[in-house]
Amino acid sequence: MAARIICIGNRQVRGDDFGPRVYDCLAAKPLPADVDIVDGGIIGLGLLRYLEDGRRVVFVDAVAGFSASGGMVLLDGAEVARQCVGGFDHAAGLPYLLKIMPAVLDSPPPVVTVVGHEGYASAQTVRTAAQCALHLATESADNACRA
Amino acid sequence: MNTRIIRDIPFNLVEGDLEVSIEYGDGRVTDAWSAGTLYRGFENLMKGRGPLDGLVMTPRICGICSTTHLFAAARALDAIAGLTPPDNAVRVRNVALMAEHVQSDVRQSVLMYMAAFAHPAHAGHPLYDEALRRYAPAAGSSAIDAIRETKRVLEVVAILGGQWPHSSFMVPGGIAFAPSQANLLQCQQLVGAYRAWYERRVLGCPIERWREVDSRAALDVWLAESSAHRDSETGFLLRFGRAAGLDAIGAGPNAFLSYGSLDLPQETAVVAQTRQLVAAGFARGNAVAAFDAAGIAEDVSHAWYRNHGTLHPAAGETDPYASAQEGRAYSWIKAPRYAGQAVETGPLAEAVIDGRPLFADIVSAGRTSALARQLARLTRPATLLPAMEIWLQELIEDHGAPIIVGDGQVPDGEGAGLLQAARGALGHWVRIENGRIARYQVITPTAWNGSPRDATGQRGAWEEAILGTPVANPDNPIEAGHVIRSFDPCLVCAVHTVRRRV
Repeated sequence: MAARIICIGNRQVRGDDFGPRVYDCLAAKPLPADVDIVDGGIIGLGLLRYLEDGRRVVFVDAVAGFSASGGMVLLDGAEVARQCVGGFDHAAGLPYLLKIMPAVLDSPPPVVTVVGHEGYASAQTVRTAAQCALHLATESADNACRA
Repeated sequence: MNTRIIRDIPFNLVEGDLEVSIEYGDGRVTDAWSAGTLYRGFENLMKGRGPLDGLVMTPRICGICSTTHLFAAARALDAIAGLTPPDNAVRVRNVALMAEHVQSDVRQSVLMYMAAFAHPAHAGHPLYDEALRRYAPAAGSSAIDAIRETKRVLEVVAILGGQWPHSSFMVPGGIAFAPSQANLLQCQQLVGAYRAWYERRVLGCPIERWREVDSRAALDVWLAESSAHRDSETGFLLRFGRAAGLDAIGAGPNAFLSYGSLDLPQETAVVAQTRQLVAAGFARGNAVAAFDAAGIAEDVSHAWYRNHGTLHPAAGETDPYASAQEGRAYSWIKAPRYAGQAVETGPLAEAVIDGRPLFADIVSAGRTSALARQLARLTRPATLLPAMEIWLQELIEDHGAPIIVGDGQVPDGEGAGLLQAARGALGHWVRIENGRIARYQVITPTAWNGSPRDATGQRGAWEEAILGTPVANPDNPIEAGHVIRSFDPCLVCAVHTVRRRV
């Protein structure tokens, strides 16, 4: 099944650059033809266009508050959407995007999984996260996602 | 008079990195301090990099205005290289920027400004139930509609930029590739569809009818004319806003600044008063004077920077010093001033400087307000969409004409890229030495509007605008929020970490 990995965050901000670092790692790999990767940056709602073609979607993003010990976490899209407790603002990020998605897309919403990381990730963790995202995209998540 | 300082203002619909403290007494705001709490320092990130790096780095200053920063960076390099982009490059750059503007104006109005009308503090307002139906967060009918339609028009930027996000298609001397005829036809369809929706839902009338509204009296006639007008987003903004008293608060410094924007191609059917669709100027009230970029200077007397003097941004320093001016400094935002004056910038400033009759009438009558400022923003697409359609048609008819001049190289030198972002005047000042960026200064619209005091004690634009605002409940000064939001502050969109909140 075709899938898309969308790595988000600001590559100029340490910690928030987790997504872009994973993107760079994926971009250096040979990828299956039906897996598309996107350097999603900081554009929030601007990512809606990447959710409309029926592909399974894996987001990669920095997170906070999901793991007491830090490190990598896997979240499903619904759990992330639940973190949206207010309306839209300039800081609206992935929770708002996922909450509003079903109401505004021109097609059925995709299945969404999030590979998150708390704190600054080591180079090894970034490589592991890239592998994990790729496994999730190809529906073969395994131990690679348990780093 | 009993006074009280309130620091914990619930600006949850504004900005996490903006803190506005107000002094409150006898039911009104008696003083205000606006603080940016985040040091960004892009200026220092740029030093030592290659001349073209601004095209890649600076669009990441903002998640909403990335095309605007790209455009400003490209204009600065045009200036350094002494290049004038050919007509088709001008058109493509303009249309991309305008697409970003017309989506931002609607999103901010519906999702941030009018969303506050659905706040429980307005439960006693006669239009509250309708506000809830329209603007309830992530559920209101207008909110959903606005996201769906703005999503589509942003496709124009993706198509013209050839990449989304983070396109760097604007380069010194023009653009990096020519959109195909099919690309342009698709853009034409998207803009046409957006215009049709904007007229139907946001204005409730054709753009041509809206442009006939040339005074406060004509605005009243327009509002009474039809249910389509009253039920439109513009009509609802006016009805709710007037009943809530938003037309009587938030006046501001009564000084307006526009750098000018959207150069006209040499050959075009678009008509404007100057060689730019959005005129440059400085206005005191509605008395408009020519804009001179030499009049810009940055004061850091109340900001956490080492004070090298009040400098023009071409010679500016961004030298963070957290304990500077201890007890006096209160913001990471500098205080830009024009000819020594605090000014406001944004859609209202553009309308005043362009001499649009409705807003000239409002300002000349001393009725500048939060509502007038928001009305200028929500109706700005009516001035942009027709020109977008013309430029796209001209691109289709003139397909194959040059899109770039020069050799892509940027020599040593200095230059500035000035234009109007969605929120107002944006400038990039760049100096290249020995093939590297030696200096890069950025002044954003929010720096103009949200600046702290300067050395003379002059408040920033929204510090001034908030003075005198009546506050019904000091524990929830929602009126102050309406004033600040009318400027559309932008400080925090560069980091979007997913935080557990429930």
